[in-house]
Amino acid sequence: MTDNDLYSLIGSKLRDKIKQKQLEVPMLPEIASKVIRLTQDTETDSSQLAKLIQGDQTLAGHVMRVANSAAFSPNCSMISLQQATTRLGMKVIAEIALGASVNSTLFDTPGFEKHISYELNFSVAAGLWAKEVARACRKNVEAAFLGGLLHDIGKPVAIQAALDIAKNHDLKLEDRHILTIEKKYQRAIGAHVVKEWGMPKPVCMVVTYFDMPHEAHSSQNQTLTVVAGERLASHFLCEEREGNACTTTEELLNTPVFAALNLYQDEILELLEREDQVKASMEALSA
Amino acid sequence: MSIAPPNTTERDDTSACDNFVYDTIVIGSGPAGQKAAIQASKAGNRVAIIEKSRDLGGSCVHRGTIPSKTLRENALRVKNMRMNAAMSNFKLAEDIELNTLIDRLDEVLKAHDRYMRKQIERCNVTVIHGRAKFQSNTEIEVVNVKGQVTRFQTKYFIIATGSSPRAPDNIPIDHESLFDSDSLLSMMYLPNSLTVLGGGVIASEYASIFQALDVKVTMIDKYPQPLGFLDQDLTKKFIHSFEKMGGTWMGNRTVVSAHWNGFDEVTTVCEDGTEVKSEKLLCAAGRFANVKDLSIENAGLEISDRGLISVDENLRTKVPNIYAAGDVIGPPSLASASMEQGRRASCNALNIPVGKAHNHIPSGIYSIPELSSVGLSESQAREKFGDILVGISHFEEIARGQISGIQDGMLKIVCDAQGMKILGVMIVGEGATELIHIGQMALIADSNVDIFIESIFNFPTLAEAYRVAALDIVEQRPADDSSY
Repeated sequence: MTDNDLYSLIGSKLRDKIKQKQLEVPMLPEIASKVIRLTQDTETDSSQLAKLIQGDQTLAGHVMRVANSAAFSPNCSMISLQQATTRLGMKVIAEIALGASVNSTLFDTPGFEKHISYELNFSVAAGLWAKEVARACRKNVEAAFLGGLLHDIGKPVAIQAALDIAKNHDLKLEDRHILTIEKKYQRAIGAHVVKEWGMPKPVCMVVTYFDMPHEAHSSQNQTLTVVAGERLASHFLCEEREGNACTTTEELLNTPVFAALNLYQDEILELLEREDQVKASMEALSA
Repeated sequence: MSIAPPNTTERDDTSACDNFVYDTIVIGSGPAGQKAAIQASKAGNRVAIIEKSRDLGGSCVHRGTIPSKTLRENALRVKNMRMNAAMSNFKLAEDIELNTLIDRLDEVLKAHDRYMRKQIERCNVTVIHGRAKFQSNTEIEVVNVKGQVTRFQTKYFIIATGSSPRAPDNIPIDHESLFDSDSLLSMMYLPNSLTVLGGGVIASEYASIFQALDVKVTMIDKYPQPLGFLDQDLTKKFIHSFEKMGGTWMGNRTVVSAHWNGFDEVTTVCEDGTEVKSEKLLCAAGRFANVKDLSIENAGLEISDRGLISVDENLRTKVPNIYAAGDVIGPPSLASASMEQGRRASCNALNIPVGKAHNHIPSGIYSIPELSSVGLSESQAREKFGDILVGISHFEEIARGQISGIQDGMLKIVCDAQGMKILGVMIVGEGATELIHIGQMALIADSNVDIFIESIFNFPTLAEAYRVAALDIVEQRPADDSSY
């Protein structure tokens, strides 16, 4: 079977799965869904949130680590979960819960764990940089992190689906085949995943229109912000692969998305100065 | 950096060398800049506008006036539906997205942009997208968003770069929990509670709009009353209405700090130890002129002590070929005043008669309820003339006010001691910003107060309040002057 035949076969199976809603979307751990629901409920108070987190040892431990990290508590140490949830705030807790839940263990992708782990780590960076871009533009800081975190969520799901199809149809796929399929179908799959996970509308729009932000209508600015966050992340992070290199400062300065956001070159350079803060937040979130 | 061809211009006219030379260059495309450019163009000038943002219109269109008024329209709908609870039993969804409440904003902005661009195109004004930096009093450098540099020369400059929200050192604005007036409307969800720092126009507008949307709003300011430039009886009506909706006014308080308390609240600490907790905070502590990137010293200009560009009564700076208009020269910082200043700046630069210099520019505050004034306030008039007469009409005494359920409405006419010459009109209540124009026309026409009694207005309308207030004055006239 030629490469083209292979792509065509898998592509058609993938499209069928999406169309017939048979694509296996990894379950967002219940605890993450509950935390997100709670933090979006205006009636929730810190004790309810602490109680919920206490019920999940992994998440509780993670929250305590993040709360005590230099990025979040430079001047004091947290001794209780209640204190930590109070200290970090609802939105940060939601971000931690989702960040902790969207990890490589969500996906059954033998042989691609390292690749997926890199991608998810990159997405955290994209989310944090998107917040910085949003701050610089004075727009939609609240939604930027989630958009960045989930903008490439279709990638691991695409790999998992391609591996499943190959297994079921007894096809032999090389890594390059998988990566090509991932690249080609991840956006459509990502849009499907965030919809299934019940993410807020602006986040769904970002994931859907990430490659064509100018078509995102009312979410255009939001999408451009996340695209810019992703570009900034690519300046600091790149997967160890042959011929792969991080985006240079000059390339970054000439990236059209910044012009579309009306960010001037000195403003982009000012953004880059936020590197230490973003790195500290990344370390804290992936502790 | 190399000098690139002038491809920053939005019009494709890059071939001719004289593209670099204009008669008038206007910096900024807000209300003042637009009118200045159009006036200069109509006078036969070759005109360019340099605009830093991608969109035309300045803060007025994109971050302030138009977005907040769009939100206000929906806040009014919500308030009215609540007032008619018996008919609709209305309650706003708890987690409503802010976008839903400014749903028509995109359409409004697009229509506005389309109209502006057409007008500018019709007038053959070139729009240059980039950041302006003076090289001299006749040359300016423009750096576009891609970093390309172009230089332009001109006979006249009109600086109309507007203003930005001031961020006090003790208020760490992060545009996520602590907002300024430019970023406030980018909140995703309507918060439960909002602290508003300040008592000026922007603070009062947003505080009352969010309170009408059932957000628990606390306004904190160092002065005893908000909107200190208006008479106290008007501001008292505003406070009463605001508190009746559920808002809290905290005057005479100095804020020492505000910070995200770590959970879901912002804590605002006052000098007297009072702490106010809210989900979000708006800092509306004044604005500063946008002059940072202009390098005005290269043109021989300097910033005043108040951070503004100083101009004389002809809007001319100390450099004879450079004029300034709008927020960049300071109060009144009203779009309406800025437009007129822009037009006059061009007229003055080009020696065109400006027409009768009407100084009766109304001020409109789009709070809930609206406030508006024109001419002198009662306190200003007393200070200037000593004895004066004041006529007052309350909207609840007017048939239209009763029909529309308008409470806390009031119209006040200030007259000279003889009760003849109108010195000013002030209104609080829904429709105030429209209603004021009747008083403005009377002032401009130099009419005496009898015009409101002798004229016939539609019935029932709030315009009747003019007649009632005028009669109130007539009753106070010295005995031999009273003719009604």
